[in-house]
Parts: sequence; structure tokens; C-alpha cells
Amino acid sequence: MSSLAYFIKQAFQGFTRNLSTTLGSIITIFLSLFIIGLFLAGAIVIDNIVKSVESEVSITAYVSDDAKQTDINAMEDYIKGLDGVANVSFTTKEQALEDFRNMSSNAEIVDELGGNPLPASINIELSDPQMVQSVADQIETSDLFKKIADEDNPADSLKYGQRTVERLFSVTNYVRYIGIALIVLLVFISLVFINNTIRLAIMARRKEIAIMRLVGASNGFIRGPFLMEGALHAVIGALLAAGCLELLRHLALPRLQASLAFLPIGIDGNTFLLIYLILLAAGLVIGLIGSAFAMRRYLKV
Amino acid sequence: MTEATNQGARQPRNAAATQSMRSAPDLSTALPSLEVDDIPQQGTPVISFDRVSKVYPAQPNRPALENISLQIYPGEFVFLVGHSGSGKSTLVRLIIRELRPSSGTITIANEDLGSMRNWRVPYLRRNIGCVFQDFKLLPNKTVYENVAFALEVIGKNRNVIRTQVPEVLRLVGLQDKLDKLPDQLSGGEAQRVSIARAIVNRPPLLVCDEPTGNLDPQTSRGIMDLLERINRTGTTVLVATHDREMVDNMRRRVIALERGHLTRDQQRGVYGFDV
Repeated sequence: MSSLAYFIKQAFQGFTRNLSTTLGSIITIFLSLFIIGLFLAGAIVIDNIVKSVESEVSITAYVSDDAKQTDINAMEDYIKGLDGVANVSFTTKEQALEDFRNMSSNAEIVDELGGNPLPASINIELSDPQMVQSVADQIETSDLFKKIADEDNPADSLKYGQRTVERLFSVTNYVRYIGIALIVLLVFISLVFINNTIRLAIMARRKEIAIMRLVGASNGFIRGPFLMEGALHAVIGALLAAGCLELLRHLALPRLQASLAFLPIGIDGNTFLLIYLILLAAGLVIGLIGSAFAMRRYLKV
Repeated sequence: MTEATNQGARQPRNAAATQSMRSAPDLSTALPSLEVDDIPQQGTPVISFDRVSKVYPAQPNRPALENISLQIYPGEFVFLVGHSGSGKSTLVRLIIRELRPSSGTITIANEDLGSMRNWRVPYLRRNIGCVFQDFKLLPNKTVYENVAFALEVIGKNRNVIRTQVPEVLRLVGLQDKLDKLPDQLSGGEAQRVSIARAIVNRPPLLVCDEPTGNLDPQTSRGIMDLLERINRTGTTVLVATHDREMVDNMRRRVIALERGHLTRDQQRGVYGFDV
């Protein structure tokens, strides 16, 4: 227990001994962990959005203005007969306009539009989310739908969640790869920095270490202060990163949510707490590995 | 046991005087023999070398030590003499296992250094006090702190430190200099601090590598008196030196090395090299 106190004391002394390199290693750890934290939070947000889009497993088939009512009815009957379809309803042009007016905040725009640019649509609710693609394909390929579809290409007249999800995935995948590459790079830089800081600390205490070995200090006792120093830098970096994320969460997140009201961004406090714990653990691992590397190379005991 | 190679060092105490006369050069008889109690060489040797050789990779054709066999028993005071490069320091570094022998076995207090695991080495060194020519004191710590440091880093608690450090500093005669920094001390005082640090943990064995190499003869005499007093408390003392006057004056067991070979091992010996 007393040697733990000694390690901590030595670690804090190392702090003041090489202030600039110490700050350097703390800042690199802080930035790496901060960015890891941002990506973690972002990944959770995107996950939430993807889930909410997936849960809206409905298909909207837009119908041309000059489609005959009989064709529309036949189409509805056809769709009702498909596997996985729970309910089919029809939205007229007028209803669509009314819905739009209710949705957007100022109804005046709608009034100024003059005509009604919105198409009528058939809304299909599915009993099984997995069936979205097959139902959509069947509607798309049916001759009837070709006749009544709003656009020339029937596929463009179909809107369903799966497509949005796919598009989201392709975007988020890119973001994820960039994120991982960035994190790997930053972790590497932090390791190099910690390695260097601990190396300097070892150099500064070379004489002391020689005497410690001479009088029979155990290897653990000689290594302890340096491991503690690396861990201390990492913990300080992690705390800074967590603090900055907490600040962002309270200042930036509400604004983001306000401007993107239709997306469910909300992350609860527990998730953030988890992120902070992950950052702390990652920081500790980086700090300990970094100083262990330095000791392997520069501290022969 | 390799008695044959020890050139008669393994004699009973009543034969020691004649033995030294026979194997030592004329100088040995010319000098007065001081009243020194012989230490009976019995029990388990503190240090035992069995056909130890050490070859440094840089000089593969010139072994630093070759086929050295010797035993040092508890309570002995032994001089290790020889010119520079004769292998004295190599031998000292083998004893504290800073080096490993190229061949042969070294046994310290019944423990074979060759098969000793790395993590055990610190515990070996706690039983060996070390003193060097360059003192190896920490310049930013006071005399008291320098000695206390040796106890701190082996995990001794504060009460032990508070009682043992002033005691050992009184023993070496530095009770008035506790708060001085090393660069405020004379060479002799600095060496006393380093001796105090070496014995503060009360090791059964004290190894000194050129303890008086930096000091004038008078100060050296003081250091040797101190080592002798430490020896009288039962500590085995091994002093590697090329200080002719000291060895000749004290008439203790002398082990001589020449270019890595053990050339002489005698009780109440003399330095014996022509300079």
C-alpha cells in the first residue's frame, strides 16, 4: 500500500519534471479519446435512426393523376392478395395536400402553390418487416402498376424504408471506415507519445534506477512509477475527453435535435456514461501499453 | 569444493601464518604482522566460485576471468587485488549478478546464481551491500534521504527507516551531516554515506569495488577502518582495490588476479605486485 503511494507520488513528480512532453502526451490521448467518443456517440445516433426507419415498414406507391379509379381499385386488391401485407389504404391528392399542410409549419406556402402538386398514393402496411423487398418487387413488376404509376419508371414511384436504410448504410459505412482509420491513427500517435514521455522519464531517473537496482528494489517497484505515470496521463486525457463530450452533449445536442426534429437523435444519460467508461478503459489500455513498450526498450531490470 | 586450486587458503588457523610465509613473496615476511584474529574458515561459504570463466563478447579471445575457483567464508575480510583490467570489477559484478558467468557456477549463500530467476535477483542484492569508487549518490537528496532511499525502495516501513538511518549514519560518523547534499561533502564523507547506504539494511555481505580509488591516503585509512569495524560486527567484507598501502597495512586475506587468472590466495597477505 505504501509503495502504491510512492508510485503515485513519483508519477506526479514526473508530471512536473517534463511538463511539455507530459502535456503533449495528455493532449494526444485526449484528442484520440475525444474523437473515439464522438464516433461512438455518432454510431449510436445513426443506429437509432436506422432502427426507426426500419420500424416504419410501410410502402408508399404513388399513383399518377390520370390513373383510372378502377385500375387503382384493382391494384389495391392485387396488393391485398400479396404475402406479408397487413393493410392497404388509399390517400387522395386532396388528403395528401391536407397532410402536407398539417405537417409543415406555415400553411401559407401550400396556399401559394395554387395547384396541387402532390400525387395520390396507395399506402401498404406490412405484417413482416422482412417482406418489404419482395412485396415492393412484386408491385414494381406488375403490369397494372406500370399503368397507374406516377413516374415513367415504376420503381421511382415506390417509396419504402428499405431503400432509405440501404442509402443510410452506404453513407454510414464510409463514415465508419474513416472513423476507424482515424482512431487507429490517433491511438498509434498516442502510443508513440506516451512511449516517448515515459522514455524521457526513465532517462531523467537513470541514476536513481541504477541505485534502486543496486540496493535490491524489486522489478515491480522500479517499473511501478512509470506504469503509474502512463496510466495517469491516460486517465487525465480520458477525463478531459469525457468532459468535452459532456459539454457537447449539453450544448450542441439540443440544437442538433431542434434542427433535425424528424430524426430521433436522443441518447440517454446511461449511454453516455457507458461511452465515458469505455473511453477511460481505452485510455488506461493505451497508457499502460505505451509505458510498457517504453520500459521494455529502455528499462532493463 | 576445489581445494587444490586455492593455493593453500583452506588451512586451519594455526597453520595460516606459516602458510602465508611460504607462498607469499619476501615482502610478506619483511612487513610486521598485525594483531588480527583469524577467522575460522568454516560453515557454508558466503561466496563460492567453481571454475568460473567470463568472456565478454567484444573480446572473445581474451577472457576477463578464466577458471576462477574460490571460497569466502562468513566473517572474512578479503582483499581482491590486481592491476587495472585484471578482472576485479568483473568478479564483483558477477557476485551481484549484474553479469552472468560464461561457464562455471557461482554460489552466494547457498544459492546458485546461474539457475536464479530474474525476479529473484533483487532479493539477492538486498543481502549484498555494494560500495563503488564513484559513490553513486543521488545529488538532489540529502545524506539522510540518500540512505533512507535504500530502505524505501525495498519497501521498509517508516519506523524502520527512522530508527535505522540515523543509527547507521552515527556508525560511519556522519551524524552531524544529515541534511547536507552530496556536493557539500568531501570525498571521504561521500564514501561514508555510500557505505552507510550499503549496510543500512544489514546485509551479511559487503562488496566494495575500489572504495578508496578517489580518496587521499589518510581518508582511505579512515574508510578502511570503517570497513574493518563493519567486518567486526560479523559482516563478510570483500574489497577490490589496487591500494597497495592499505592491503599491506591490514594484512588480511588477499586474493590476487592477473589478466583474469587467480594467481595468489593467501591469509594475512600483501599487495605483492611490483608497480
